[in-house]
Amino acid sequence: MTLLRQIAVRLASLAGVLVLLTFAVYFIQRQLPTDPARVLAGRTATPEALEAARERLGIGKPFLTEYFHFLGRLLHGDLGTSISTRTPVREDISTYLPATFELVMVATILALLGGLIIGILGARDGWAVGLVRIVSVAGASAASFLVAILFLLVFYRNLGWFPAGGRGGTAADSGATGLRLVDTLVHFDFSGFWDAAMHLMLPSIVLAIAPAVAIGRVLRGSLRDAMASDYVRSANAKGGSWFEVMRRHGLRNALSPALSMAGLQIGVMLGGSVIVEMIFSWPGVGNYLATAIAASDLAAITGVVLVLGVAYVTINFVVDTLQVIIDPRQREAA
Amino acid sequence: MNTHQPSEHNIATVRDLVVEFDKSGTPFQALKGIDLDIGIGEIVALVGESGSGKTVLGSCLLGLVPGDAKTSVTGSVNVEGIDMVHGTERDRRWVRRHVLGAVFQDPLTSLDPMMRVGAQVGERGASDDRILTAFEECGIPEPKVRIRYWPHQLSGGLRQRVSIAGAITAANRPADKGTERVNRPEGGIPALIIADEPTTALDVRVQDQIVKLFGRLRDEHGCSVLLITHDLGVAAQIADRIVVMSHGEVCESGPTAQIISSPQHPYTQGLIASRLDVSDPFPHREPVQEPPNTLMTMTNIVKDFRTPHVRGGVKRVLHDVDLQLDAGEALVLVGESGSGKSTLLRIAAGLETPTAGFVDIARSAGKPQLIFQDARSSLTPWIRVSKQLGERLALAGVPREERPARVAELLRQVGLDERMAQSRPRELSGGQCQRAAIARAMASGPGVLLCDEPVSALDATLASQVVDLLDDLRRTTGVALLFVTHDLAVAKRIATRVAVLNDGRIVEQGDVQQIFNTPTHHYTRQLLEASPSLAKVKKVAS
Repeated sequence: MTLLRQIAVRLASLAGVLVLLTFAVYFIQRQLPTDPARVLAGRTATPEALEAARERLGIGKPFLTEYFHFLGRLLHGDLGTSISTRTPVREDISTYLPATFELVMVATILALLGGLIIGILGARDGWAVGLVRIVSVAGASAASFLVAILFLLVFYRNLGWFPAGGRGGTAADSGATGLRLVDTLVHFDFSGFWDAAMHLMLPSIVLAIAPAVAIGRVLRGSLRDAMASDYVRSANAKGGSWFEVMRRHGLRNALSPALSMAGLQIGVMLGGSVIVEMIFSWPGVGNYLATAIAASDLAAITGVVLVLGVAYVTINFVVDTLQVIIDPRQREAA
Repeated sequence: MNTHQPSEHNIATVRDLVVEFDKSGTPFQALKGIDLDIGIGEIVALVGESGSGKTVLGSCLLGLVPGDAKTSVTGSVNVEGIDMVHGTERDRRWVRRHVLGAVFQDPLTSLDPMMRVGAQVGERGASDDRILTAFEECGIPEPKVRIRYWPHQLSGGLRQRVSIAGAITAANRPADKGTERVNRPEGGIPALIIADEPTTALDVRVQDQIVKLFGRLRDEHGCSVLLITHDLGVAAQIADRIVVMSHGEVCESGPTAQIISSPQHPYTQGLIASRLDVSDPFPHREPVQEPPNTLMTMTNIVKDFRTPHVRGGVKRVLHDVDLQLDAGEALVLVGESGSGKSTLLRIAAGLETPTAGFVDIARSAGKPQLIFQDARSSLTPWIRVSKQLGERLALAGVPREERPARVAELLRQVGLDERMAQSRPRELSGGQCQRAAIARAMASGPGVLLCDEPVSALDATLASQVVDLLDDLRRTTGVALLFVTHDLAVAKRIATRVAVLNDGRIVEQGDVQQIFNTPTHHYTRQLLEASPSLAKVKKVAS
């Protein structure tokens, strides 16, 4: 009962944050020196054409009126038309979003696994601690575009293990979900699945390295604290091995800070996907956004930023809820 | 101890155990050559003050030597034929799983907050039936419901019982292991329970029950018990033999009656002499001034707290409490945890608003000051004592140039060396921290000191010193004390008046002599009955 109430309260604040987000996005967009009407109508447009474009975009009125106009269109799912692709932004995004979603999903799984391994190995005194420290420092200080290029050099050019870019397959392959790993599996297309996985490997690893290290460091710290606690001493006194006690008592108690960090890091990965998608020619919204920025394609930029923002806020909502669910004490508070 | 018993009569044998920690380069011997035998079915009490090494010894018996890689351990700790300090990790774990049960001091932190209590009790593979039996044996009401509870849903006393239930549900031994013992307890009962201050955090009545529970476990299952405690009174209640430790050495050991009634070692004599006991005579009390100058009146205080789980549910922790505090008196609120005594104190301090009723504090009393149980955490660890006192003086409007002199005076008042002024709380001992905290409370020259269990975290000698200090402050400065404690011996030493609080109601209130000599309420009598005292043992011995 209380859990549901907590979720309801969080959902309400989620809605508030989203409204703020649209406001911020629209505000920033209108502060830019670029005139969207000019971009839409073209450099050589007549004043009449420019005025018509203004009318169509609903600009040139007081800011709040413009904003509500924008909000109204947004509620109807109208994100405007991209000037570079000449298609509605909504269609563009629904074409590109599954690729990004798949990439970030896989990277998230890798980051969580990596973080778990780094955290657990680092929490126990022994040979692994030094190794973990080196990996942590290296991973935290490596810029993702450098790692990406390095990976391409080593694994594509020299070793030839992985493809250089793209998602593999052909555009015609795209199935119901747009997630190639899922679509190929559903059709028992194992070679297609393998192809998709190989294409995903390098970009998702590059995307996951820094978040894995960040999650791992937080987990390591909280796991160390948990393993030094009284209840772990009690568990040790019952004859459990380090690993048993860690798994049964340490991990669950140490999870909360690591989960918060994971939520933040998934957000970071959403942003980081822009660079990684460019380097690996990944046909996702990141790549789309990069093209849009180069073309001053405001409608596309706004659309992508909103979608990424919604994803970010939603992820953190999920993380918050998970934290409440795993901790029996928090479940009752509030 | 000195007579070496053959090992088939002992569950555990410690020989010449030396544990040396490396404290940032300087070696520190926590144990300096300890010999100890624990007989089968014997209850041994290990008594000593904090820092005596008694907990380290307990940990060694569990095979969990504290410290790091630089800690050196020599000598032997043998439990059922396995060396618990030098044996293999696997063997030691086997002993912990099958032979030992451990109970630690703090029930609030000893249980995993993220695991249901039943699962924690059954961690060593006990069946559901066995878990239920253990819950019943440990006196946990409604075991069938309670095994599904989370630790935070239980009171401190119940959590400690859960800890004990976990300690007495060892793993069943395979038939081929540990056969050197004939009369070992049946499957799933540990042969040796190591309880490190198991009752220190608990109320006297619960303490009494838990101490008796250990006795019953011994009687019914033949378990041996090593009871580690700082309180000779608790040791005297149950132990067959008392081993007194100080500074890493055994000072004295012998049958309980002998140690209590004719201690040989000066350290033991000191422990017994400094111990506050409910059977101590009343200290001399000067007559109360007439007419009384009332500093604080609490009228019809009611306090409700919201209850978890139940929507809109409230729990009434204080029912219509009336209390009056006069200048120069020490009113002691006696009660168990959950009785509402701390809440009442917090209301008096203005930290909590009563649901109904009002608190009236005389203008002359100023703002009441609080002294907490855990002095160390009530002081800011990295700020020098002098600065913390200075801050209070500044708040009280003392001009800057007068502050150093006032700080020195305050420190002298609480018996702290002036050099301590420049120390940070983390460099002070527990007793010194409490003195500093008292000095800080006195800085604003309050008319009322509110003390929340100020000595229950301290060793016996320190506790009686701090109690005497507060008594002294009351007599010399006329500050009134509202003193909350669960310990009747402390109450007897410091109180001029006593109010007994039970379930949010004052069940009895009156002059200290009247409460102790002719208690009228049965709850007061129960509390007096349950308070550990050396008097009974002494009487039996003589």
